[in-house]
Amino acid sequence: MSAAIATHDLHIDHGTTQDLDHLFALWQDQRDPGTREALVKRFMPLTRSLARRYDRSSEPFDDLLQVASVGLLKALDRFDPKRGHSFPSFAVPTILGEMRRYFRDCGWSVHVPRGDQERALKVRDAQETLTNEHGHAPTVSQLSQYLELETEQVIDALQATQAYESLSLDAPRPGGEDDTITFGDGMGSEDERYELVELDATIVAAIRHIPARERAMLHMRFVEDLTQTEIAARLKISQMQVSRLLRRSLDQLRALTRDASEV
Amino acid sequence: MADSPPNVRLNLANTPENVVVVREMLSGVGEAIELDHSDLNDVRTAVTEACNNVVLHAYEGDLGPLEVALYLADRSLGVLVRDHGVGLPAEPESLETDTGGIGLHVIQTLTQTVEFAAGKERGTDVRMWFDAPQSGAFAPLREDGDRAHTLALLGTPTTTICIAPISLARTILPRLMITLAAHAHFSTDRISDAQLLADALVEHAQAAISGEELSIDVTVEPRDLELHISPLSVGRAQQLIEQSELGELGGVIGQLTDRHEVLSTGAHETLTLGLSDQR
Repeated sequence: MSAAIATHDLHIDHGTTQDLDHLFALWQDQRDPGTREALVKRFMPLTRSLARRYDRSSEPFDDLLQVASVGLLKALDRFDPKRGHSFPSFAVPTILGEMRRYFRDCGWSVHVPRGDQERALKVRDAQETLTNEHGHAPTVSQLSQYLELETEQVIDALQATQAYESLSLDAPRPGGEDDTITFGDGMGSEDERYELVELDATIVAAIRHIPARERAMLHMRFVEDLTQTEIAARLKISQMQVSRLLRRSLDQLRALTRDASEV
Repeated sequence: MADSPPNVRLNLANTPENVVVVREMLSGVGEAIELDHSDLNDVRTAVTEACNNVVLHAYEGDLGPLEVALYLADRSLGVLVRDHGVGLPAEPESLETDTGGIGLHVIQTLTQTVEFAAGKERGTDVRMWFDAPQSGAFAPLREDGDRAHTLALLGTPTTTICIAPISLARTILPRLMITLAAHAHFSTDRISDAQLLADALVEHAQAAISGEELSIDVTVEPRDLELHISPLSVGRAQQLIEQSELGELGGVIGQLTDRHEVLSTGAHETLTLGLSDQR
């Protein structure tokens, strides 16, 4: 949780000011590796704490810490105590600068980070495991405990479901059902039930544009009042996929009725 | 920033979970204005620092209001984080020794400009501006009123969400509903329903709400979320529910919620929607 990150700040040991002044004077004067080592050790908690601030990103923490440490070394090399600033006020921008450059160089801004995608898949699989165990869909805190992730990471993974069309949460899981199950296979001749009669003409027209499987899902959720987990079990797909398809088809349906009523 | 009303306002209790609510709001805004991923990360990191300070220090361990306002301007984005707590130390630099003080430096590094100021009566305002090349100015909330603020002060676990224009809510409200449903210990089933409900509200609010802003108070209890949507003109509350009807599927809003109630207070109505997880 976010606050936990900040509380670590409280325990940073900056040593006594005198000690530090002495170390910096020595470092400034002689530039010997021993003194640098001592200073690095002193400011490692600061560096670690800054790296932790980006820990929710998809980069592994060790990589982040390494980049932050390069920033710390740069800050030590460039810091001039005679200018009257404290070292942290000089080092924080330098270290953050190093990390931000790293993110940009990674092309992190361009594509959906791979780590996030993998996390979304892990959450999907954990959902299934825990649903089987408990007999109902898990909560976010159960998922975060099970996967040893921050609750925010799980929330982001659930939110991300919609974004990863190409990653395909619809892809078959290892050892799971293959993806050849279609509406027809899963439902047999039951699709007759989803024929729509005596409805507002606009909506009938709109609903006909929705693929059969999604139409069936909508019917199960909103007419039969099944839970998403029950729908997932019936169609042999994941709840995450049900969630995404329901959202998309409702969206399409609204867009279609909106267009029709505007004509 | 002080004079013009914001585009988004969140009034929350200063709990650690609510910092996640703020971060999700920022992600939603980022998506709406197509903010670069690493710029968004900077905004989220700086604002998190300011919020964490309110969580940890502003009320000296007690609960109190955390208010976040977001301003979209041409090519820039502003965030105000406000508390009504103990206020800044006389020398902000002394934060450095008090708390490790990294937060202050982080904020200074990641913002274009930042201003720390004492609140009107007590507390602290942190005003941060960020470059947001993709951002354009949006019509803001009508007034920077204190209506919502008083609710947060009641000490109930109420979160107030105000968004203008309503179109901006499209990327924000679903995220906030997922987050609040997660905090209410909903199963992923119902979390997804909460997201679908948010979609429906955003879609139909435009027609049902007079004016160009969406204002919702959400009460979070274990396995229960209660949404109060107001102020609506007379007759609009029922209309909002009915508009979500999709033929044979029925009213999507009615189907996704467990209860609804229209409360009329003279010239205005409040629509209350209850969503629970009865697994």
